[in-house]
Amino acid sequence: MTNQRRGKRGLTQTQAAAILLLPFLAVYAAFLVYPFFRGVWISLHDWNLLAVAFNPDAREFVGAENYVRTMWGRNMEWGLFASPVMQTVGVLGIGLALLGYRAGRLTRSTALALGIAGALFFLLPGFHPGEDGRWYDRRFWPTVGNTILFVALAVPGVTVTALILAAALDGETRAKAVLRTLFFLSQVLSVTVVTLIWQIMFSPRQGLIANVTEALGGTPVTWLTNEQFAMAAIVITTIWWSLGIAMILFLAGIQDISKDIYEAAAIDDATGIKAFWYITLPNLKRTVTLVVVLQIILHFQVFGQAHLMTQGGPNDSTQVLVRYIYQTAFRDSELGKASAMAVFLFVIMGAFSVVQFVVGREEE
Amino acid sequence: MLNRSYYWLILALSVPAFLWLIPTIWMISLSFQPNDVLARTTSTTAFGLVPIPFTAENYAALFSFGQTPRWFFNSMVVAGGMTLGVLAVSTTAGYALARLEFPGKGAVTLLCLIGLMVPEQAVFIPLYTMFADFGWHNSYHALILPRMAVPIGVFLMMQFFRAIPKDIEEAARIDGVGWLQIFWYIMLPLARPAMMTLAILTFLYAWNDYLWPLVSAREPERFTITLGLASIQSNFAQSEGLGRVMASGVIASAPVVILFLIFQRYVVQAMTAGGTKG
Repeated sequence: MTNQRRGKRGLTQTQAAAILLLPFLAVYAAFLVYPFFRGVWISLHDWNLLAVAFNPDAREFVGAENYVRTMWGRNMEWGLFASPVMQTVGVLGIGLALLGYRAGRLTRSTALALGIAGALFFLLPGFHPGEDGRWYDRRFWPTVGNTILFVALAVPGVTVTALILAAALDGETRAKAVLRTLFFLSQVLSVTVVTLIWQIMFSPRQGLIANVTEALGGTPVTWLTNEQFAMAAIVITTIWWSLGIAMILFLAGIQDISKDIYEAAAIDDATGIKAFWYITLPNLKRTVTLVVVLQIILHFQVFGQAHLMTQGGPNDSTQVLVRYIYQTAFRDSELGKASAMAVFLFVIMGAFSVVQFVVGREEE
Repeated sequence: MLNRSYYWLILALSVPAFLWLIPTIWMISLSFQPNDVLARTTSTTAFGLVPIPFTAENYAALFSFGQTPRWFFNSMVVAGGMTLGVLAVSTTAGYALARLEFPGKGAVTLLCLIGLMVPEQAVFIPLYTMFADFGWHNSYHALILPRMAVPIGVFLMMQFFRAIPKDIEEAARIDGVGWLQIFWYIMLPLARPAMMTLAILTFLYAWNDYLWPLVSAREPERFTITLGLASIQSNFAQSEGLGRVMASGVIASAPVVILFLIFQRYVVQAMTAGGTKG
């Protein structure tokens, strides 16, 4: 109806919409949609960055070979105890999903997501090269493992710290506002500033941590060059850097909880830690899920910290997926293989984005 | 009673807040100490947290030679350009999707929503080959254009426009005002707070972006400050002196920190919106 009504210039709604949408849709199609499909297409080719730059015909269609060369091996077998830790986590996940769903603690979609994740953790790490077999790429799965380890350390670290701070700093007073600002400040720094600071903080010769350790009579730890500590150093850096956003999301969530509940609880003498445990936490369940999923997505893409602080070392112990993709593409010039890994990354990110979307929608 | 526990809480939280701030204080303090002293020890006074002996030479040196001013300028152009570009495409598309009726609206909205799931790392290799074919690398637009294609801004603006009452528009329609005029003269002025939020989110992102500039800008003259800082930190001790590298770090952080302190409310809003919606 309004479609037919014309304005001064005689544009219909459809024409106006077309004009207004065109700029965005043009850049969107050119720099996101098209590159995405082109990425999948590159992943199906043997594509050397330098060779193709000189001669566009130097690429060769190889089908799924890049995926095989990255993720598979010769004489592969599946075994129950190939990777006991991951597989136990998987079984626990499945169990938790079943129990939670039966007890009515989890919604069907959450239980389903948890169950599928558990099944994947149980099934995938079970594959390993049999006798005389070997991985085609020895570094890929350990790299994925490092990335998962990083996420598994950083996400709970950030979540717990941010949750405690948010609960303590919720309130209108000036002192609390100042403290919130202080804790949030590091969030706006760039990754290169953050790594600059923490590289020197962790330095065994010049570092603040080493200086304090020595003053206390201890021996400085070589954080970034020691296989035992390198990952921990990167996780500490990341928690310091990215606590802020989790904290404000929790603060927003806490402010949505009705004040009446707290007042009612205060009559029953439930204040402070008690109130946090029995009122804040249960009411924040959705926000916690959202923050956790959001951070999994964010931290799975970790790159700068590992690239600048440890260069993936020592001995590949902090090599992470995005850094491996970057190196495969721009150091080894193997664009096909790098793109296959990028597609793998996208599938994982996409799965979590769907979870994020579903959780985000549950509120409405 | 309540009051006393409140002061205890603030006191108890001041300790971790101070610890949290130490790395930043340390960076600033080191940037004000002479390089020859830092080469020997970084903990002259109070573990180096107080800049004694004091010098401002590191900053003077940054501006007289080295590429930091150039990188800073590049960052300003890229972040400013990206902010304007994102605002332009997001406000127009956001308004169309929120307020206009046209065939295929649902499909377009869904298409944009799917785009939120695509991480930068999934497209940076094909983007690199595309831009190489066009000969676009080492330019400002190569750093700006890819972010304009990210639909998060469209969704922020769409949500804002949806919340504006329809009466204003309808009254204008009855007076025969065209859709584009309504957008330009009525809706855009109303959208200022949302545009501010989006602008700050975009500027922060642009200023701190690392992976794409690392791939696209290969000539040091074309580096952004974030990228330039990465290039000098691998061998900071030998080449430039610790104090000067730290001064670069302070300079690189100053705009975003100042922006944050002034527009804190918008930053927090932007991050909350960006965090929960995509």
